Amino acid sequence: MEALATASLRDRTLEALRAIEPALAIVADEEGLRPFETDAFISHRATPMVAVLPETETQVRHVVHACRKLGVPLVSRGAGTGISGGAIPDPAGVLLVLTRMRQVVALDALARTAVVEPGVRNLKISDMAAPHGLFYAPDPSSQIACSIGGNVAENAGGVHCLKYGLTTHNLLAVRAIDGDGDAVEFGSAALDAPGYDLLALMTGSEGNLGVVTRVTVRLLPLPERTDTLLAAFGSVGDAARAVGDIIGSGIVPAALEMMDRIVIEACERAMRLGFPTGAEALLLVEVDGAEEEVVEEMRRVRAILDACGAADVRIAADALERERLWKARKGAFAALATILPDFYTIDGTIPRRCLPEVLDRVYRLTAEYGLLVGNVFHAGDGNLHPCIFYDANKPGDMEKSEELGGRILELCLGVGGTITGEHGVGVEKLRQMCSQFRAPEIECFHAVKRAFDPGGILNPGKAVPTLKRCAEWGGLHVHGGALPRPDLPRF
Amino acid sequence: MSTTHVHRPPDAETRSRVSTRLSQALRHGTVIVQGEALKPYECDGLSAYRATPLAVAIPTSEEEVAAVLKVARETFTPVVARGSGTGLSGGALPLSDGILLSLAKFNRVVRVDPIGRQARVQPGVTNLRISQHVAPLGLYYAPDPSSQIACSIGGNVAENSGGVHCLKYGLTVHNILRVRAITIEGDVVDLGSEALDSPGYDLLALVTGSEGLLAVTLEVTVKLLPKPEAAQVVMASFPDVESAGDAVAHVIGAGIVPAGLEMMDRLATSAVEDFVHAGYDLHAGAILLAESDGTREEVAHEIEKIIEVMRASGATDVRCSSSDAERLRFWSGRKAAFPAVGRISPDYYCIDGSIPRGALAHVLRRTEEMSARYGLRCANVFHAGDGNLHPLILYDANVPGELERTEAFAAELLELCIEVGGTITGEHGVGIEKINQMCRQFRTAELAQFHAVKAAFDPVGLLNPGKAVPTLHRCAEYGAMRVKAGALPHPELPRF
Repeated sequence: MEALATASLRDRTLEALRAIEPALAIVADEEGLRPFETDAFISHRATPMVAVLPETETQVRHVVHACRKLGVPLVSRGAGTGISGGAIPDPAGVLLVLTRMRQVVALDALARTAVVEPGVRNLKISDMAAPHGLFYAPDPSSQIACSIGGNVAENAGGVHCLKYGLTTHNLLAVRAIDGDGDAVEFGSAALDAPGYDLLALMTGSEGNLGVVTRVTVRLLPLPERTDTLLAAFGSVGDAARAVGDIIGSGIVPAALEMMDRIVIEACERAMRLGFPTGAEALLLVEVDGAEEEVVEEMRRVRAILDACGAADVRIAADALERERLWKARKGAFAALATILPDFYTIDGTIPRRCLPEVLDRVYRLTAEYGLLVGNVFHAGDGNLHPCIFYDANKPGDMEKSEELGGRILELCLGVGGTITGEHGVGVEKLRQMCSQFRAPEIECFHAVKRAFDPGGILNPGKAVPTLKRCAEWGGLHVHGGALPRPDLPRF
Repeated sequence: MSTTHVHRPPDAETRSRVSTRLSQALRHGTVIVQGEALKPYECDGLSAYRATPLAVAIPTSEEEVAAVLKVARETFTPVVARGSGTGLSGGALPLSDGILLSLAKFNRVVRVDPIGRQARVQPGVTNLRISQHVAPLGLYYAPDPSSQIACSIGGNVAENSGGVHCLKYGLTVHNILRVRAITIEGDVVDLGSEALDSPGYDLLALVTGSEGLLAVTLEVTVKLLPKPEAAQVVMASFPDVESAGDAVAHVIGAGIVPAGLEMMDRLATSAVEDFVHAGYDLHAGAILLAESDGTREEVAHEIEKIIEVMRASGATDVRCSSSDAERLRFWSGRKAAFPAVGRISPDYYCIDGSIPRGALAHVLRRTEEMSARYGLRCANVFHAGDGNLHPLILYDANVPGELERTEAFAAELLELCIEVGGTITGEHGVGIEKINQMCRQFRTAELAQFHAVKAAFDPVGLLNPGKAVPTLHRCAEYGAMRVKAGALPHPELPRF
């Protein structure tokens, strides 16, 4: 991957791309390629050999064909908002930018589906559906910018995925171009499709199995009523127990978010929202649905919060106040910058029942490292986002925070969780994949990859580590001291 | 690898070699190699197809399953895994030259975690036993295929089973967290995780519904749900199936997700009423049963909305269950519908197809036209809410030509499902029964992709070969493949 493109391969690639009809936009000059150097995982950068911006599926097919023939790596990119580096270009490859494919092909209000091209922004789908009383549920924080194609690639979540599920639960069909340049269609407009569930397989595959060219999403009716409340707690443990009790009682809130004291104080400093600053933890709970349902669930949520020792509970009286409560949660990461110059956000998932225990251990570990940690996260689905604060100018501080981050992820794994909640693996977490999985599972991933992309041209080196890299890192669960199947091709 | 795997009874030498090795491999488990004892394993719930396996292996531990697969690998013998044998599409039909791997002895509930609301169970545990086991905790396992008293969770994973309540609670794939499986190579893999999302490709979803072609399930971690506080059912009468079909679209269109939404036409209700006296309206052309569950307030509110929509959609009569006994009586007819139809006709053929809900009225009208054209009665009793049709074509196998007409009728119906954007199975799987229709459902590119995925897990093609995904060769013979420009693409592709 680090090998620079040889002049002749570059020329041949450009020649093949220029021969594509109808002609497509090609960017090959140094200056023009600059904006494509990275996605939102900005610590890693690479200039692609060439970038192309197709407008039709036929052009995409031709581009994949050309790359397959020449053996040139191909990285797909949507809006470039991904935060694990899934769309970082290959310096010897083609970057396929799908932002010009942004048509809403169809919207069927009765069947409650929309057919869109991959470059359509997440929020635009809900905007288009709103006049019909419908919306598209998954709402990553970047929804104003991120594209549905990228959402499919990363199986994006969002604040409301606790109730409404991840991208994979809100798709009906995906059309994609596989590594051989063939158009394949997975899923159907009906509830279940025969054959293997390749739609689910494609979702979250981080551009390794195909290039998405069309997505059929499920739309939901806008809820009749939405209520939001904020509860303050005297201890993190009490707040974490309240989360477990709410879920345990059978209530599925639309959102259930938590933040601890460091985050609350930072938000207060930055936004002056009038939050109870003495609190050790805040819970933000949103319930939506039919009028009666919301009233009844809110009553039950309040009772649980009181029983768990909530010191202060405020219910938003109107939409304006609701927005103000959410402003703190959504602006929290920006506010954290007021604490120390740098912070590193971890993204791990744990079974909910382990929340009190894991949070306690995160604080103790951080103290051991002499660092500071703030927690602001999707408590309802056990998706942690500990932010470790450090100062990159202080020698050794960054290394310490990275080591602590690794320890926290191992902690997640230790209690039966996973190393990503919603940000994907990309290049960022390749190494932790070796801890998450044993060799047989990693081999399975590679075999599946080969089934879709025999030439190994689609986003090589991302999402799934080679067994060799795992062995080098020492993270692979090697059986009996021997790397299994040394004959296996490793890309 | 041959172009098509020809299954013929193995010669005596192969038979004895495989049998001996299996007996050596299973110290605690059972191996059946001949005689009457093989008979019960001849077929699953699709009893029209039968075959006697070379041997039946009933292992008792993961090590023994691995040992059976090792024998299969080393002797190049195909393996068909079997749970309770209740599948309706022949997925567990044995191969005459293959080993039938029964997982019946893997019947332990390993661990229940009430706070995490999940249970780890072995594949042979029956669907209903999971719910019974966790009932004292106020929990249950949501997917409820009609065969739930007998069918096993391993089979549910293989077929991605649904049930009456899957409209609200989803299919098997939506209710499991993790599957521990063993590949034909003998590698034990853990797919999925206890957390909400798992990195890497979604292999958990991939193996769910793969009909035993990718791996053998060893353990399943299922999600458990709190039992709803209340449940009530609305029964509405309509003058004809079209208006009932439109009412279904309106209920869903109004944003209501009932726990169950079932339709029965007059032929079905009249057959049932004689049999179980459920109190159905026999003047109605069709009836709908809509159930709501949840908290009392939620149910009261939803039932009110359902009644409103039913009336606005032209219901001639609407009744609501006033007690749990009455609710169960309303359902009793639906659950007894298949045997009841068996009383009014010597034979019937049950079709399983899915369509987008908006097309219900159209498809039901076309079904009536076909019924008249083929001169065969057709009863409709099905999961209307999720567009999963189960037309029952009534025929008499003793009347020459009726079975053939029935099959032609069924094929035309399934093609109609595809034409309106639906699929050829709703919940019964493909197995051996619908292998030809797969050629209509998918284009060559998709079928080739299925085979590539199969090869990724099972390169030699020893796990349940010949089921679920047709060879491109077979599709070409069936004449249904959408061949581009007259040429079969990827002629180099291995076809098992």
